[in-house]
Amino acid sequence: MNGIEQTLIGGIAGGTAIVIPSLGELTSELAGIVNLGTEGCMLAGALGAYAVTVATGSAEIGVAGGAIAGAVFGLLHAYLTIYRKADQLTSGLVVWFLALGVTGVLGTSYVNDVITPLPVISIGGLSKVPWLGPILFHQDLLVYVGYVLVPLIIFILHRTRIGLLLRSTGERPEVVSVAGNRPNLIQATAVTIGALLAGVGGAQLSVGYVGTWFDDMTSGYGFVAVAVVLFASWKPLRVMVGAYIFGVALSAESVLQTNGIAINQYLLDALPYLVTLIALVIVSRKGGRKAPEALNRALIDVT
Amino acid sequence: MGKVSLKLGNSQKPLEVVSNTGATATLASSIKVAFKRHKLAYLSVGSYVASMAVFGLIVFVKGANPLSVFSVVVQSTFFNGGSVEQIILRAVPISLAALAVAVPARAGLVNVGGEGQLIMGAIGATGVGLTVGASAPSPLSWALMGVAGGLAGAIWAGIPALMRTATGASEAVTTLLMNFVANDIMLYLIYQPWRDRYSSGQPQSQPLSHSAQLSSLFGSQLNIGVVFAVALAVATWWLLKKSHWGFALKVVGGNQEAAKRAGLPINRLLISSMLVGGALAGLGGMLNLAGVEVQLRPGITATFGYIAFLASWLGRHEPYKVVIAAFLFSAIALSSNGIQLNFGLNGSIVDILLALIVIAPLFLSKNRKAMTK
Repeated sequence: MNGIEQTLIGGIAGGTAIVIPSLGELTSELAGIVNLGTEGCMLAGALGAYAVTVATGSAEIGVAGGAIAGAVFGLLHAYLTIYRKADQLTSGLVVWFLALGVTGVLGTSYVNDVITPLPVISIGGLSKVPWLGPILFHQDLLVYVGYVLVPLIIFILHRTRIGLLLRSTGERPEVVSVAGNRPNLIQATAVTIGALLAGVGGAQLSVGYVGTWFDDMTSGYGFVAVAVVLFASWKPLRVMVGAYIFGVALSAESVLQTNGIAINQYLLDALPYLVTLIALVIVSRKGGRKAPEALNRALIDVT
Repeated sequence: MGKVSLKLGNSQKPLEVVSNTGATATLASSIKVAFKRHKLAYLSVGSYVASMAVFGLIVFVKGANPLSVFSVVVQSTFFNGGSVEQIILRAVPISLAALAVAVPARAGLVNVGGEGQLIMGAIGATGVGLTVGASAPSPLSWALMGVAGGLAGAIWAGIPALMRTATGASEAVTTLLMNFVANDIMLYLIYQPWRDRYSSGQPQSQPLSHSAQLSSLFGSQLNIGVVFAVALAVATWWLLKKSHWGFALKVVGGNQEAAKRAGLPINRLLISSMLVGGALAGLGGMLNLAGVEVQLRPGITATFGYIAFLASWLGRHEPYKVVIAAFLFSAIALSSNGIQLNFGLNGSIVDILLALIVIAPLFLSKNRKAMTK
């Protein structure tokens, strides 16, 4: 196995921890609510999944625990921003801070625990496809969840009534309300589902890709997920591509290191964030697609 | 303002009507009116009490007595001379980074990059301090370190500002990402070019020479950096409240369309607000480094930049309120030591406390908006 294959395998596995939260953030943003707390929800998901895995011995049940932990923090963000009209960015940061504190306090007892992470599953014939097979189809469960989630979310958002309602809420909540629907409820559901997916993304880190828990282990991936949604101009396919690119940048770093390429580790650590920043500039310059209108009000016309 | 007085007029109406209908009814409804008028105040107190109750509950779950934790927080904050000095020292970077949020906020920009700007300020100061510190007289090396720190912070805030004005990339997200880049740059410098070969254990940069360190004030733990910080805070207040530039920022932040029609250079104002903010945070990082830390180490900023964002928000981006909030948060952040020592709880428990203190007013956003509409 050469370095490029190693990088791509790690990129898909690590990228999944960004893909799933980004799709969650996409859902939330299309409904008009930006959630910087995605970082906190991932953190909660990572610890929740780890704790449940330690307790039950099953990483699959752990993932469910992570999803719930993420959703709980998402509910708080939804309540504050939608029902209490709090500033979205501040609320998101506070949710992150709260999660940082809670996972710091509760997580100390799990630092030395050992778990059996999600097993690698080979998809029969597909994993035998030369070169691509081992990269795409010899991965853990959540990677496949990521594969399924992308078309599923595209279908729901663009082909169903629920998706139409959600997107309309993100553009003009007033109109949705006049038409006899409850924009608040729709937004709250979108934010909570988004946070749930962030929790699953966190689980992919703690019980999947990395397989251990340490303090502040998401180290900004949740913020990257928010950035990915912006530079993907709210298009699910681009979100997926962007997130995997970030994953590849992450994994390139560790592969270069193990192969003894003499670049300082910390400069490499900065690479994924730089890639994201540059992508943001390039895409924004092209104009991209306009943001959902309700979101624009929250993101640009602040204070 | 016109709208507010209108609203007040309305809310007084029931009082007049009621006063004609008998004494008992008057009493009951005037209590009601009094509650309505001070509703926000009661709700504020209520939400803070609820926040503290939640914190107490978390502490209780972790097996410590909430009341004794609270008393440790209060005691270590107010009744210990040494720790008052520590609080002031911490408040220096936190309040400058908080002002770095408040200045762009005037123009409607969201600077969440205080952490990175503090780090870059500390890096700039260390670079200059290590180069000239040993040979130059103290005041000169302080000045040069200040320039380098302020410049580095300004650059770090200026890049997202340019990205915003040139391409429309949301500065809330770009400033956040810049924090992580800054931290990695610092780690690189600590682990390689600036590494202190003589220290064992955790890697850190070489220390500043003695003459480059900020001298202490009257033999206390405080240093002359506190004086500089006060001067910077006053200057920021003047800039925002008294200068033409500050007024122009407010116009841009209030109504960009009106600002455009008035012929204000919007992009230049947006960028300059971020540059000034970044410079303030950079200077905060420099003062913290030259006065307290003396050398770069991993985790030197300890989330001060994010705490500062919350402080600025809590102070509604009003300079003096922001500084008060920064002191409060500095005290709480410091109490983590006491909590760790006395109760064996993880120090990040104060993050929970900080978050809950900000959740209380966030919870009231709706009531506040209803009051001012």
